[in-house]
Amino acid sequence: MAGVLREWLFTTDHKKVGILYLIGSVAAFAVAGIMALLMRAELSAPGPTITANPSQYNVWLYFHGAAMILGFQIPALTGFLANYLVPLQIGAKDVAFPRLNALSVWLFFAGIILALLTFVLPDPPDVMWTGYPPYSEITQGNTAFYSFTVLLLGFASILGGVNFLTTIAFMRAPGMGWNQLNIFTWSVFAAFILQLIFVPVLGTAVTMIMFDKYLGTNFFDPTQGGDVLIYQNLFWFYSHPAVYVIFLPFIGIVFDIVATFARNRIFNYKMVVYGGIGGILLLAGEVWIHHLYVTGMPDWLRVGQMVTTLMISVPVGLMFIGLVGTLYKGSITFNTPMLYALSVIFLMLIGGLTGIPLAVASIDINLSDSYFIPGHFHYVMAVAGTFAIFGGIYYLFPKMTGRMYNEKLGKTSFWITFVGVNLVFFPMMMAGLEGMPRRYWDYSQFPQVEGLHHLMTAGAVLVAIGFFLALVNWIQALFKGQPAGNNPWGSRSLEWTTASPPQHGNFPEIPMLSKDWSPYAYGSSQ
Amino acid sequence: MSDHAAVHEHAEEVSIWPAVISIGILFAVPFAFSFHFVYHNGLYAALSLGLGVPMIVMGIVGWVYEALHSEPVAEGLAPPAMGWFILAEALIFLSFFATYWVVRLGAPVWPPEGTVELPKLMPLVMTTVLVTSSFTIHFAEGRLAQGDRRGFINWLILSMLLGLAFISMSAYEWNHLLHEGFTPATNIFGTAFYTITGFHGAHVIVGLGIFTAMLLPALRGQVNEGLVKSGSLYWHFVDIIWFFVVSQVYFWV
Repeated sequence: MAGVLREWLFTTDHKKVGILYLIGSVAAFAVAGIMALLMRAELSAPGPTITANPSQYNVWLYFHGAAMILGFQIPALTGFLANYLVPLQIGAKDVAFPRLNALSVWLFFAGIILALLTFVLPDPPDVMWTGYPPYSEITQGNTAFYSFTVLLLGFASILGGVNFLTTIAFMRAPGMGWNQLNIFTWSVFAAFILQLIFVPVLGTAVTMIMFDKYLGTNFFDPTQGGDVLIYQNLFWFYSHPAVYVIFLPFIGIVFDIVATFARNRIFNYKMVVYGGIGGILLLAGEVWIHHLYVTGMPDWLRVGQMVTTLMISVPVGLMFIGLVGTLYKGSITFNTPMLYALSVIFLMLIGGLTGIPLAVASIDINLSDSYFIPGHFHYVMAVAGTFAIFGGIYYLFPKMTGRMYNEKLGKTSFWITFVGVNLVFFPMMMAGLEGMPRRYWDYSQFPQVEGLHHLMTAGAVLVAIGFFLALVNWIQALFKGQPAGNNPWGSRSLEWTTASPPQHGNFPEIPMLSKDWSPYAYGSSQ
Repeated sequence: MSDHAAVHEHAEEVSIWPAVISIGILFAVPFAFSFHFVYHNGLYAALSLGLGVPMIVMGIVGWVYEALHSEPVAEGLAPPAMGWFILAEALIFLSFFATYWVVRLGAPVWPPEGTVELPKLMPLVMTTVLVTSSFTIHFAEGRLAQGDRRGFINWLILSMLLGLAFISMSAYEWNHLLHEGFTPATNIFGTAFYTITGFHGAHVIVGLGIFTAMLLPALRGQVNEGLVKSGSLYWHFVDIIWFFVVSQVYFWV
């Protein structure tokens, strides 16, 4: 027993590291989800309901936002999925630096521990996941813990980036060219380039807050020549690209799932990779100012940012065409991972279309800080990303465990969750249009949105039930699932050519690939 | 599979040092900082530091020796990996410089009230020392490539001494300026000055740490070439950053 524990906790094998990331990020997801339920309970009726202390609501909001993005989505995508899949997909024995990989996952655990200590601390952080000064510098809350959580998770991401970019660039199986990579591997490559460029900027920003608050520097103090808007710029300079750090791997795994279950090649592979992923890589750093439309800036800057923001639709559109084209004339199987993948296309479409008006400054100024914003970004990033992660977990479940989950329970839990999220987030956008401001713990002053709030709370309960059923399904299947075999999906990708679960070293011998090999060669002559 | 191979594989799969380092960092940085600055509990801060720092040192030592005794997954990947890491590091400095440029170019008067005159000679000497150390570590690398371990060690020690001299001069100058009443809290220039030079100095110290991790095994006849190449690359990067620090902070008046 101690041997098994040691082998797992101190492992340097990329597959076990990936599963450690999975456990950590699903734990963060569960706790952050409970925070969301607490917020929905507070908002179930106007006036104080389960707490009479608005700061308590701020702490829930802080934990929900910070843990969902930094503790769940980014680690689940660039930690779990990337770790588990990338070396298998490129036919490598492991990542380039296995010990460094273990350091990443342990720094991630340190960050999660720090975040969880929020619940036992006196004066927990209450600064949302954004940590805007001046509030973060004058609050009683422990802003240092916020900064250090970001720094630890960020450091883990940077080391992960160093590792994976080196791995993908230099450790592909003999014969595997760049145009033979899985879309998922490509998307991880791009996401980690973004992480390496942008995470340090966020790290710098939160360090400055900490220095200002505890060491007496003046970065964001206008009376001493500082500038408070610098923080917002640095923060969004990272945090807008962070959306693409989440978006790219989740759309990448959706591509792989869709190709597998549509039994089809990727439609316009090169357009998806160079136009879609490459386009987002180029545009990611040029749109952050659209988060600051209401802070006051010259019109030429607003107009310029409107243009670049709207241009993001182009690479995203290319990816949609790629996905829909892959489905076209495919031989489609509707099982649980595929349902999740297809729902991502739907959720992304709603989230994407509601993003277009938000890009336009004249509309955004009216909708800024209303419920429309959380409604929009939950569709486009939070829910779509989470559904892609869940789809990915179901998709890889037989590979990771060698056992099959319960298909019926999987589909049931999918439909409950799917109805639930739409019940939460569509009314949320409508409440925003009705004038409900975001981050409020009480809406007594906005009686017109009471009905919508009831709907949202009911939806949140459905979401919780749906996710709980998924968790039950996995735990049950882990112990009692039917043996799955090495390739239950009939995929052509390399990760399915080896044992389930793969042995240490992944492949009995490193695969040699020919020039016309493709991970998506499903019978067509193309 | 023979027993020997099984044991070997098992040894490669597990390493406790990453966990030791991470927990050490958790105690030495967030816990110690919070106890000291947020909860004003000096005893707990000292305990956290006393627990964390030895863990980090122990973890790094264990890691370095483990790496010397195990086969890398692939040869020669350390320098390109260091290249990616330097990209991230460069962005840290770019963020600080961007902040500095924005506040400076937006300021009604510069330098702001309370700024003292910065010394001009000292930064020039420091520049010379650091540039020289970049050359000496390059020579060290060259010696190693020729298989001359003795020469490598000598040049490496010289580079470390130059690095130490740089840090000492930096500390002397900080001390001098603080005594004149110019502190990080004085004004935005004080904030920028101490943060930028401090972060650069911290990088020099990390570089010296990497050099130590090369030197100690080398004295016993063991050299990790990937570490040497990437460590020297890191040192050149720290050197290049110093040119920006000197030109932007000291000599742009």
